[in-house]
Amino acid sequence: MEQEQRAIQAVSPVELLNLQNVSKRFPNVLALDGVNFDLRRGEVHAVCGENGAGKSTLMKVISGQYQPDGGTISFKGEPYRFASTHAAEQAGIAIIHQELNLVPHLTVAENIYLAREPHRGWFVDRVKLASQAQQCLDRLGVQIKPSAKVRTLSVAQQQMVEIAKALSLDAEVLIMDEPTSSLTESETTQLFRVIHELKRAGVGIVYISHRLDELEQIVDRVTVLRDGRYISTHDFAQTSIDDIVARMVGRSLEDKFPERTSVPSDICLLKVQGLTRKNVFGPVSFEVRRGEILGFAGLMGAGRTETARAVFGADAIDGGTVHFDDELLQIASPIDAIRHGIAYLSEDRKSEGLAVKMSLAANITMSNMAAVSNRFGFIRFRDEAAAARRYIDALDIRTPSEHQIARHLSGGNQQKVVIGKWLFRDSRVLFFDEPTRGIDVGAKYAIYQLLDALAARGIGVVMISSELPEIIGMTDRVAVFHDGRITGVLNTRETTQEEIMQYASGLNPQAQPQSAHAPEQQVLRKTLLN
Amino acid sequence: MKRSLNDKQKDLIQKFAALGSLVVLIIMFSVTSNSFFTVSNGMTVALQVTSIAYLGIGATCVIITGGIDLSVGSVLALSGVSAALAVKAGASVPLGMLLGVVVGALCGMVNGLCVTRLKLPPFIATLGMMLVARGLALEITGARPVSDLGDAFGALGNGSLFRIETIGADGFPNVTFPGIPYPVILMVVLALLVSVMLSRTTLGRHIYAVGSNAEAARLSGVNVTRVTMFTYVLSGALAGLAGCVLMSRLVSGQPNEGVMYELDAIASAVIGGTSLIGGIGTISGTAIGAFVIGILRNGLNMNGVSSFIQQIVIGLVILLTVWIDQVRNRR
Repeated sequence: MEQEQRAIQAVSPVELLNLQNVSKRFPNVLALDGVNFDLRRGEVHAVCGENGAGKSTLMKVISGQYQPDGGTISFKGEPYRFASTHAAEQAGIAIIHQELNLVPHLTVAENIYLAREPHRGWFVDRVKLASQAQQCLDRLGVQIKPSAKVRTLSVAQQQMVEIAKALSLDAEVLIMDEPTSSLTESETTQLFRVIHELKRAGVGIVYISHRLDELEQIVDRVTVLRDGRYISTHDFAQTSIDDIVARMVGRSLEDKFPERTSVPSDICLLKVQGLTRKNVFGPVSFEVRRGEILGFAGLMGAGRTETARAVFGADAIDGGTVHFDDELLQIASPIDAIRHGIAYLSEDRKSEGLAVKMSLAANITMSNMAAVSNRFGFIRFRDEAAAARRYIDALDIRTPSEHQIARHLSGGNQQKVVIGKWLFRDSRVLFFDEPTRGIDVGAKYAIYQLLDALAARGIGVVMISSELPEIIGMTDRVAVFHDGRITGVLNTRETTQEEIMQYASGLNPQAQPQSAHAPEQQVLRKTLLN
Repeated sequence: MKRSLNDKQKDLIQKFAALGSLVVLIIMFSVTSNSFFTVSNGMTVALQVTSIAYLGIGATCVIITGGIDLSVGSVLALSGVSAALAVKAGASVPLGMLLGVVVGALCGMVNGLCVTRLKLPPFIATLGMMLVARGLALEITGARPVSDLGDAFGALGNGSLFRIETIGADGFPNVTFPGIPYPVILMVVLALLVSVMLSRTTLGRHIYAVGSNAEAARLSGVNVTRVTMFTYVLSGALAGLAGCVLMSRLVSGQPNEGVMYELDAIASAVIGGTSLIGGIGTISGTAIGAFVIGILRNGLNMNGVSSFIQQIVIGLVILLTVWIDQVRNRR
């Protein structure tokens, strides 16, 4: 019997994947730093961490998309050496991305066997294609026709097609990146049923989800990452969600943030009530006060960016009102918002914030050309250069001159140019969407100082951030978003990262037992909605 | 710092490459043909270039916003025959030509509406207009030239400024200076005006901003719709003007004129360094591009090269210059 067991192990070792001390470096960032991870047959192993903790990078290393810079990986006891996702797929490691990778205009069967269609002579064997696809779908127990066009399917059905595709590759390792982020409850239940089936069939599943409340239904083990570093691995049965959350956020704030000099007032600048965009977010209500920094916390896709864009007029709304200084605003486009002194700095600088082919000066004056041109529309270049130089000095933008093309500036300096653009416009409420994303640590500090200085000048600053330390370190109040709604507005001084995380995960903090890591708190809980 | 210098150098090289090739062409043709480098041939070339230049100036603005206008050749014909028909029907020549320009501007407006309101890709929107305008031109004329328009109709296209001639002993006029044709003067004025508009005004800045990053421009409060509309209307109006001038030169309304002119216009912009992705381009570059094409045609003609070979050469020149542009943009 011992021999028999050994024989089985030799054929199919229990351990599918083993990563030791893996690291991955990008310019300026150590995305993975000494990460350990292992995956066994028939288990679901969750990887948890905040945005930017290195989860996605780890997945890309496992799926062959990135080559690690250090450490060892073995797959079924052999050294892992897949130079591409295709090679990894061939060996049985499949990844299902958050954004699904299907061709919408092809059928389900054609997608499952894309680029490896069964042939008869020179032609695709349609009969075989359909029957093979049907088998894959049957294995999952889902009711999808192989002949249906993918674009006619729901997101959940498309996900099933992706899983069927992975199964058709005889995948032994299946990586799922936020598979439930766009599923309804019943669709999620169906997905979990399929996951249980896969477990029984001996597939090892790496599972990433921000929805911690789901984990207990499927997960066997949990590995926590933070700042690209490996923190710990636990049997799920022997830990709690509170414990996981504490490990996810547990870092000291040290001196990453400047001393706040601004003093928030009680004067309401911007009052948003019942703002709604159907199927995207809402109703959302909040107010921005003079001289405060209001944080928008929450997970990706919770509706923070969408809310800010709607207030700014960049996207249409289906309901709700925006008051500025007690005046009801009709905002149909960014032009209206800008006229009233509202500004929005996109999280995606390159594609939405900067005209990268144009000069620094042209970018700074872009939203306020009237200030540097005469009444016939002729630009006063001397005024424009002076304005640009003023913000180069004030914001400490590192550039050889104001004529520098924006593309050639570093990320931090590009961000400062965008900020300069809105300062030049005399904005009174500024929405900063992930202002420090992709910026190195030193430049981050400068941006923080700037946010504080803006608030000190009486500007209402809204900072959307996925980094909880940043929210804790910089804001006066935090509005926490979950699933398109604000689940709580907290006083920053009286809250903790753990508490924010719980609001953001849709867990009701009141119902949870007090976490050992959360100090005694008298939290001002002001639920604004409904 | 170093990179920016290199970029500037590259830009200079591009400008000099186009200008340099223009100079090389002139020297080459001067050597191979005696009558090439003369004042009168110079004026001939300039006159021949005018149509491409009018269209090229409009095309440059549209392309800087990231669009394209394929309809200008057809709009030119429709506007020209509209002007001719109006004059034939009794309108004064200036009024008829004004009508021609307005017809062109209206076509441009329809293009602009299709692009900004119906969100059609510019290629498709203007391809549709190309067919519609050509069809209209042929329909309203019955596909026949509109002739007997009188001398006044030909004045704009055939007249010139500072023409000096003396009546010789044989009774024939002796031309000492052929004068500067009105279309050439118009071309220079237009090029200067649009160039100033692009480089020195808020509107011009917004045109570049839309082409460089339309979403960033929109989020900065630029009225992207209005700016885009403007470029198509300008392109249409310039096509209308080109139509009036061309028909005036021919002293008749020709519904079949201007076929494929849009490609010459786009080619001259591209040779002059305008990027088809948008955000980059100058009128001076387009002017150089238009003259490169014009001189190639003229010089090859004088050397007896067949029009088929001319097409091959011009095609190769376009490929070469765009390739240089790609190399320039590759960092």
